[in-house]
Amino acid sequence: MPHQCTSCGQVFDDGSKEMLSGCPDCGGNKFQFHPSTEDVPAEPEPSAEPPDPPTPDSSVARTVGNAAATVRDLVGSSGSQSAGAPEDDPSSRDPAPADSIPSEPAPAPDRTPPDTPASREDAAQADARSEVVSPDEIPTGSEPSTGTEPPATDDAATSEDLGTDPTGASATPVPTGDAGGRVASEPSEDRPDLSELREELNDQFESIKVLSPGQYELNLMELYDREEYIIALQEDGRYTIQVPENWHD
Amino acid sequence: MGLITDIRDSISSLFSAQDPKRIGIYGPPNAGKTTLANRIARDWTGDAIGPESHIPHETRRARRKENVEIERNGKSVTIDVVDTPGVTTKVDYTEFLEHDMEKDDAVRRSREATEGVAEAMHWLREDVDGVLYVLDSTEDPFTQVNTMLVGIIESQDLPVLILANKTDLEDSNVRRIENAFPQHETLPLSALEGDNMDEVYDKIAEYFG
Repeated sequence: MPHQCTSCGQVFDDGSKEMLSGCPDCGGNKFQFHPSTEDVPAEPEPSAEPPDPPTPDSSVARTVGNAAATVRDLVGSSGSQSAGAPEDDPSSRDPAPADSIPSEPAPAPDRTPPDTPASREDAAQADARSEVVSPDEIPTGSEPSTGTEPPATDDAATSEDLGTDPTGASATPVPTGDAGGRVASEPSEDRPDLSELREELNDQFESIKVLSPGQYELNLMELYDREEYIIALQEDGRYTIQVPENWHD
Repeated sequence: MGLITDIRDSISSLFSAQDPKRIGIYGPPNAGKTTLANRIARDWTGDAIGPESHIPHETRRARRKENVEIERNGKSVTIDVVDTPGVTTKVDYTEFLEHDMEKDDAVRRSREATEGVAEAMHWLREDVDGVLYVLDSTEDPFTQVNTMLVGIIESQDLPVLILANKTDLEDSNVRRIENAFPQHETLPLSALEGDNMDEVYDKIAEYFG
């Protein structure tokens, strides 16, 4: 029973054609993969969701995804975040900057470089993702990266820039792929005012702002510029995107 | 290296000679894009492309009519016509409530319209070879959406014709549109009445043939 609709829970066989036009029961178009051998915990949408923030430096594409996820998380848990965070000390709130600043640019954590906590998480993710693929994939994937991936380098440099400037004043939006990386590290940069932060993030990269169900503001340049393509919005503010093939590289 | 480039160039020119150009009909909501698309499709293929409506965002998915063969001066030009959802920076379901729509339907229409804009912008990025930019000539053309879209089209070096639609209406002001986009050719027409369509087809053949 590999595929399960994330809205109504209906299960489809692997290769089922019914899924292609959405779930016949509820019309949902997000499915999670359930390997028959292993019971995957009920994570909302492991396949559609970009990788989680713990691996912020992997690539520009993924950091854009991370940024989206981060904003979604911020929006989703805004109450608890703003309540629990101290308003005065920029450095004490989130350990993430400490992680990202010392990371050396050259061997920045690629998919699965060896011997760092981040890489182990990556390996675990890769493992989870590649359950259906032949096991040979995993050793191939975990070969040490040559560390020459330029986006990762840029990204690390960007984090460093931000780290040395606690006010974050230098974080002006740049309309390139780098903007995503920069944005991704901003949530860990301290922003006492969450709504201000959200607004800044919105201005920088959010292509569709959901004011309320049925009311949207669209950033046409972002919609045009981004490689991925939003194909379905949902009432709760989540959305499904079509990921370009080259993101899988 | 040079050889490969040459081969690639010759292959791509081979294909572009054979493949019909894909022409996107773009513009703000309610400019008459679908009416124009239907007019073109009916004139040359006999079929329509999609339902027309006076309620904005009737078209919420891009619709395509392939191999529309337009004959001009003894030559024929084949294009694929893509009717796209109206592009806007704001979608608000309350706008639809004025058209006697239930709230649930209005909210859904709004969501689909937003997805439609995303789709239209995505198509513009890589899937069209030319643009018919349709404007309601009774409306002010100096809007953010028009400026941005025409700017994107220019930055892509896509051939574009500006169409000042709805000339059958009293308030129609074609001059205002010509003034707004002096760098492009503007054609007046009424897609609804079929006025001036001959000139439009001439120009389509000239621009996209």
